[in-house]
Amino acid sequence: MITRILSRYRPLYIRSLIYMLQVCEYSIRDYVAWYGRTTDFSNVERRKTLIKTSKVYVLYVCAYAIVIALVAIAYYAMAFAEFTPRIVVLVCTALLAPYILAYVILIPLVLVRALQIPVEYVLIGQARKKLARHKGLKIAIAGSFGKTSMREILKTVLSEGARVASPPFSYNTPLGIARFIGELRGDEEVLIFELGEYYPGDIAKLCKLIDPHIGIITGINEAHLEKFGTLEKTASTIFELAEYLKYKPVYINGENEVARKNAKATLRNHILYSQEGVGDCRTENLKSDLRGTSFGLVLDGVKSRVKSKLLGLHTIGPLAVSAHIAYRLGFNRKQIEAGIGKTKAFSHRLEPHEDKSGVITLDDSYNGNPDGVHAIIDFLESLEGHRRWYVTPGLVEIGSRTAEVHKEIGRRIAAARLEKVVLIKNSVTPYIEQGLRETNYAGEILRFDDALQAYAALPHLTVKGDVVLLQNDWPDQYA
Amino acid sequence: MKTIAVIFGGRSVEHDVSIITAHIPIIETLIASQKFDVWPVYIAKDGSWYSGKKMNELAFFKQPDFEEQLAREKKIQLSFDKGLSLVWPGLMSKSVHIDVVFPSMHGTFGEDGSLMGLLRMAGVPFVGCDMTASAVAMDKVLTKQVLAQEGIPVVPSAWFTKREWLDESAQVRGRISKLKLPLFVKPAHLGSSIGITKVKKQSELQNALEVAIHYDDKILVEEGVENLIEVTLPIMGDDIPRAALVERPLNRAELFDFNGKYMSGGKKGGGANSAYSVIPADIGEKLTRHVIEMGKKVYRILGCSGIARVDFLINSITKKVYVIEVNTMPGSLYHHNWKKDGVSNMELVLGLIKMAEDRFNAQKSTNYTFRSDILNKVGGPSTGADHGPVGPSTGPATTGGPKALL
Repeated sequence: MITRILSRYRPLYIRSLIYMLQVCEYSIRDYVAWYGRTTDFSNVERRKTLIKTSKVYVLYVCAYAIVIALVAIAYYAMAFAEFTPRIVVLVCTALLAPYILAYVILIPLVLVRALQIPVEYVLIGQARKKLARHKGLKIAIAGSFGKTSMREILKTVLSEGARVASPPFSYNTPLGIARFIGELRGDEEVLIFELGEYYPGDIAKLCKLIDPHIGIITGINEAHLEKFGTLEKTASTIFELAEYLKYKPVYINGENEVARKNAKATLRNHILYSQEGVGDCRTENLKSDLRGTSFGLVLDGVKSRVKSKLLGLHTIGPLAVSAHIAYRLGFNRKQIEAGIGKTKAFSHRLEPHEDKSGVITLDDSYNGNPDGVHAIIDFLESLEGHRRWYVTPGLVEIGSRTAEVHKEIGRRIAAARLEKVVLIKNSVTPYIEQGLRETNYAGEILRFDDALQAYAALPHLTVKGDVVLLQNDWPDQYA
Repeated sequence: MKTIAVIFGGRSVEHDVSIITAHIPIIETLIASQKFDVWPVYIAKDGSWYSGKKMNELAFFKQPDFEEQLAREKKIQLSFDKGLSLVWPGLMSKSVHIDVVFPSMHGTFGEDGSLMGLLRMAGVPFVGCDMTASAVAMDKVLTKQVLAQEGIPVVPSAWFTKREWLDESAQVRGRISKLKLPLFVKPAHLGSSIGITKVKKQSELQNALEVAIHYDDKILVEEGVENLIEVTLPIMGDDIPRAALVERPLNRAELFDFNGKYMSGGKKGGGANSAYSVIPADIGEKLTRHVIEMGKKVYRILGCSGIARVDFLINSITKKVYVIEVNTMPGSLYHHNWKKDGVSNMELVLGLIKMAEDRFNAQKSTNYTFRSDILNKVGGPSTGADHGPVGPSTGPATTGGPKALL
């Protein structure tokens, strides 16, 4: 208790505040929410460390300026006020200093933001004009999950017969996309965009910027529910893409319940995709193991066997979409097969790695949504002859559905008979344990206080042939 | 939570390797288990003992100024009062009672039985081979003599002491001349292939002998094996030994030397012995079975317990297998091998601790003392009640003995 209170009065406190602003990507809303939740500031910087950027230096200067100002106020009170008010001012300044600092430090950010708005407006306007002149086919991907995987699959497959470009990393905000547009040469034939959704209206705004020809909705679930409040709001935000496209083609993930329900069956341009294929592109004899995924691809009635290095049957739907689009763009069968053959796991998304002692780690640390979790549990269940470890801190931002989503994860792990569950303890892991208990889980549960401890212990717990799934990362702002 | 002391370092040429073994995998695994209060006990090259939680990190020993930092540390003492305790003396003295010890020492003053003797005196359970097996295995000559006596094939050899070499070198040379070239000249007590030289022609012998004498006062000269395949086999257990996988070390041009054993590969985090061998060895099923059977037999003959590693030489044409030496504290417990055989570091480390405790409890039920009246029968003044005590009094020999301070 005392440590917690004192943690606000240590020099490290300033660094913690600046670090958190950086981790929250200077989102004032996220930072304020974190500050409201946090009581102990002694160990904020756990998963990452503060990167010293010019912005960080400016914030440091501001922070110390605020501290000096507060000291000056105290000094002024001491020097000029009467005795009683003197004590009151002194005590109040001392007690409130950390709180004042936490909020006043936002003022320079708000000012910079205010200055940035017109600049960004101009930048985005220029980008919109440039993109409107661009002759390439524009594909936009929206959804609560699986956007980056879909983008990478499309990019790999379509690159077999076209010049494809897409914003790097997870550039999915208007400014990020505008910067990418600025760098386009103009001779690209296909442009693929991920649309980031944080608040209602975000997708519509991005659609206006991009004016896509084709849309893909990868699904809707509880990821970011905390920000949206209800699944309906999430769905309507993501379906802003379908609204915008009106009669242009929109591929919708039929395996995701909410997306399927929101698709308008009456509209011919709403095309559902799943493991079974999409439109006239069908799949059969599906197989997936640690080496990859293979299936029979039927295009226009002609069958061929295709192989991808991606893991899990849930990747077949997006692969089918890429084949469907490629076929319509005039790619021949060989190009499509070769393109699918080149698809492989992307970093931190079910990326397999075998160490020298024969332990296979599946890094799925960027997968933090319920659908992704269910898909990976299904995949682990299908693996034979391996001892399977499921390592997770649970999921973040699930809002009101937290308890149910995590209990369901526990139930599914138990049903899949995974041998070991490693829980990185936090507010949600008791729900996973509850789900495990409800389903009479017969395996072993290991608990660690934090991820680093668990990751350090795993090499000492595993043996050759073990498959270790690292599911989701738990960023510091949720600690 | 039990307290465990992991003892490493020591006055040995394998001092640094011992630090690695202690951390990877022993300390890391113990900490990961969340079941032990781990006290690292570091014996410096000068024989001073230190302990502190920061020594649980391997990084502590990698700091360039580590020895200066160490100089500022308080040296610890040992108390044998009711078991073993670590004592930090001084005004603010502190002591920690140790429930079990994990010796992680390689070579002299540690793996050679001396530490085991100390721990036996302290009356604390400790992991790994006991004093006798450790002492015999540390002496390559003694090992060969014991194994040969039990019918285990060993390569022809000769041995001599430093004194013999200095006083009767002609006779020593005579003994060596009966052996066929190439020869291997080895210090009898050193591990990690330190001080070993391969002699291909007579002119190289003198230099090789001098190198070996520099390191030890007992020297072994062995014949080489033709068409050589070297394999090694980690074994653990007490009465029923369990073998890991037969391993064939690679990366050796002429000799499996210190660098070949510990420095090759250069991979981080693997501990001593990593990424340089074929596991399981590609020697065929029949030969593998033979090696495992022979290994377990050797383990029993030497009275090993806990863990050990038996090294073999094989003539790949004749399929003849020779036992070359036994190591009672394999580098990093050969955890890389156990892992491939389905034994995790956790199972290995905790399994060894369980064996140590079982052995200790079994020893407790053995009677080491008995009541006799021999003292009263011996001549000289009586110490009966009538006369009062005469001469210096001696404390009880069985429990609560004098504090042994190091």
